[in-house]
Amino acid sequence: MVCRSNLTWNARRMTLLAFILLLSFLPAESAKSRYPPKTSLNPVFGPQQVYGLIDGSVSIKCFYPPTTVNRHDRKYWCRESSRSCLTVVSTSGYRARGYQGRVTIVDFPEQGIMLVNISQLTLADQGTYQCGIGLNGKGLSNRVSLDISEGPNIPEEAELFYVELQGSVSMACDFGEDYASTRKFLCKMEKSGCRNIIDTYGKIDSDFQGRILLSNENTEGAFSVMITQVDWEDAGLYLCGVGSYGEYGETKELDLHVYEGTKAAQGKHTIFGVKGSSATIDCHYDPTKNYSLKYLCKWRTTGCARIIDNTGFLPGPYEGRVAMFDNPKNGTFSIVLNQLSSRDEGFYWCMTDDHRERRTSKELKIVEGECGLTGKEEVQAEVGSRVDLTCSYPCKYYSYEKYWCKWSRDGCTPLTSSDQSHPGLDVSCDTANKTLILSLDPVTVEDQGWYWCGVKHNGHYGETMAVSLQVDGGKAANISPELLDLEASNAAAAPDEAVPQGRANSDAGVQRAAASESSEQSSGSSTLALILGPIGAALLVLAAAFAVFKYRQIRRSDLVSVGSYRTNISMSDFENAREYGANDNVCMKQSQETQLGGDEFVTTTANTESTAETKKAKRGSKEDADLAYSASLLTPSTTTQSPAGDSTAPAEAPPLWGGSV
Amino acid sequence: MKSSLPWVALAVSLGFVLVAGYQWDDGEERVLVNNKCKCVTVTSKFVPSKDNPEEEVLERNIRIIVPLKSRENISDPTSPLRTTFVYRMTELCKKCDPVEIELGGETYQAQQSNSCNEPETCYTYNRDKCYTTTFPFVYHGETKHIQAALTPTSCYAE
Repeated sequence: MVCRSNLTWNARRMTLLAFILLLSFLPAESAKSRYPPKTSLNPVFGPQQVYGLIDGSVSIKCFYPPTTVNRHDRKYWCRESSRSCLTVVSTSGYRARGYQGRVTIVDFPEQGIMLVNISQLTLADQGTYQCGIGLNGKGLSNRVSLDISEGPNIPEEAELFYVELQGSVSMACDFGEDYASTRKFLCKMEKSGCRNIIDTYGKIDSDFQGRILLSNENTEGAFSVMITQVDWEDAGLYLCGVGSYGEYGETKELDLHVYEGTKAAQGKHTIFGVKGSSATIDCHYDPTKNYSLKYLCKWRTTGCARIIDNTGFLPGPYEGRVAMFDNPKNGTFSIVLNQLSSRDEGFYWCMTDDHRERRTSKELKIVEGECGLTGKEEVQAEVGSRVDLTCSYPCKYYSYEKYWCKWSRDGCTPLTSSDQSHPGLDVSCDTANKTLILSLDPVTVEDQGWYWCGVKHNGHYGETMAVSLQVDGGKAANISPELLDLEASNAAAAPDEAVPQGRANSDAGVQRAAASESSEQSSGSSTLALILGPIGAALLVLAAAFAVFKYRQIRRSDLVSVGSYRTNISMSDFENAREYGANDNVCMKQSQETQLGGDEFVTTTANTESTAETKKAKRGSKEDADLAYSASLLTPSTTTQSPAGDSTAPAEAPPLWGGSV
Repeated sequence: MKSSLPWVALAVSLGFVLVAGYQWDDGEERVLVNNKCKCVTVTSKFVPSKDNPEEEVLERNIRIIVPLKSRENISDPTSPLRTTFVYRMTELCKKCDPVEIELGGETYQAQQSNSCNEPETCYTYNRDKCYTTTFPFVYHGETKHIQAALTPTSCYAE
């Protein structure tokens, strides 16, 4: 069990820490986004400077928020004079004298764009203009300076990006094949120069951590940068380029404008998940559109590794612990991830195959705490017997909708008593003990797999708990021999103990008590376990304490604590090798160039996953234990049967884990 | 070592506050109030002090557009012209947009001020709202009250 309730000391410390952090972060975060910059007062956006050639033509694109009133209101293009702005052309049909036949204005209300085209340019056209909405020039306009020259070369204009607040943007840059292997970057123009935001060396600005992705496009030398959760602070002039800013290579200007949209805010960006429990990530999409692909991926500095999608894709380590619940009616898909460990901490991105769709990213933070839902998480049963899967819930979930479902790659199929297709199943809620019981009677081989117990509130998926059901189909039980030696040498009926035949039980403790009552053999085995368990645990604690003490004595001169020293060193070693191109692994080079979307991405996912796994394996012993724990969850075993079994599990699991990746 | 951990966290988070504070006063003008109902915007920015050029002071700019031709009741074109316009900073600075807060794993909407439910007197139209009025219409000697849009462009259905 990871959700330990006896870790109150640690939990209290964590809460205190979290509280202090929250107290100080809250004002900081809100101060940053509470007051928008003055540019937010005017949501109409267009180029600041356009260049035209004599006798040539220019086309000016202006953006506006596509609200109902803006879509229907008058659009105009006017020329500034000393006192006012004289309309040149407007969507109500007016065209000023001198411009007839050479100026047009076209409105695209659905996209929120107006397009002004002026041809047969003369030097007299040089000046300041405005594109705007409404009947007067108050507020809703963008000032454009038109420069006319004889040519032949005119400066390149910045590409414009109009992004809704909290929305996402994708910016594409292409510098040709010559720069296929050169460093690519995006930087933001500031007073002191161009601040690097992201580059292909894996350097990412701290303000953009977890919400920016740089991916190579299909053609050589082309790349795109995607930013989510765009905030007021992100508006401004950017440069995307190859090489190094101010030294060599090429750059292109990108002008990003942020406007306040009408869509409701997409909830909180940070999700807290209790270790061992579950977290729900809600992703929003446009319900009127039809997507062939929706998926969730985990953000890395080099790409985004897909975790689950709507086509049934699922990498091995997520087997049984992640599910997608799609609700096309309100345009959300929720992803529930359970059996959380500290390795799940990070940024997650909701993605669709539509490039224009706003993408959301959420940060998942793992905290210590108590699980709401509890029960036996690994159950073994024999074919033909009856098994009860129990799920106890606290009072806070009393009014929630509770359910059991059978997990599969395509989702989690709810199991109810009214389910006629599966006659042996029954869901009943024991309100007195606040336990939801799923009875399988009789158990068949097909019933083997993962079962989820969960709660739902107002259509929102809440906490879940996963139970792994192992069904022995009369064949030899899939238990490792060491375990059998230790626990079941004198009690050959170990599987019997695991299957409480014809008995409804509410939790593991009750089950053990019941089992010891029913047979002498099993009571003998549990007495043995009761004696061996504490002795073994005490010995382990002593050995660990001695080892730590010894190690500290050795290391005292360094004045570095054991845990942090080890963790930091192993981490940084690996990162360095990865970042500065120590080309020791072909797979790693590929994973650095992970594509977003498309087939290539799928093929490289496994690589990124496995490199991450090896990276984790280098960490401290605590993580090893976590790893081993999750491995024991993934592998079919009966390790939670007795306290003695718990201490053998970590030693057993790692080789099995390696095999399952 | 262990007991110092919370203090380190506190120091780090204080650092964040200071960084956030630094980002705030980057010389850019910020919008404090944008009241479309009373046509008031309040912005502020840090400027060098006139007394001591090495010191920066916060300058607050209040822009009010007074709609002199508006009616007492903007939804009733027959009401008399408005002659008094009252602007109270405390009311203008009131935050009435709800914020989301998380309590025990649940997200709730919280109101930021306690007097947000009182109706606000507007001096001008809000572009995003549709204003209508009824007028008597005599047809075949029969008087009907017909609804008319005061702000047609804002009255289109989605």
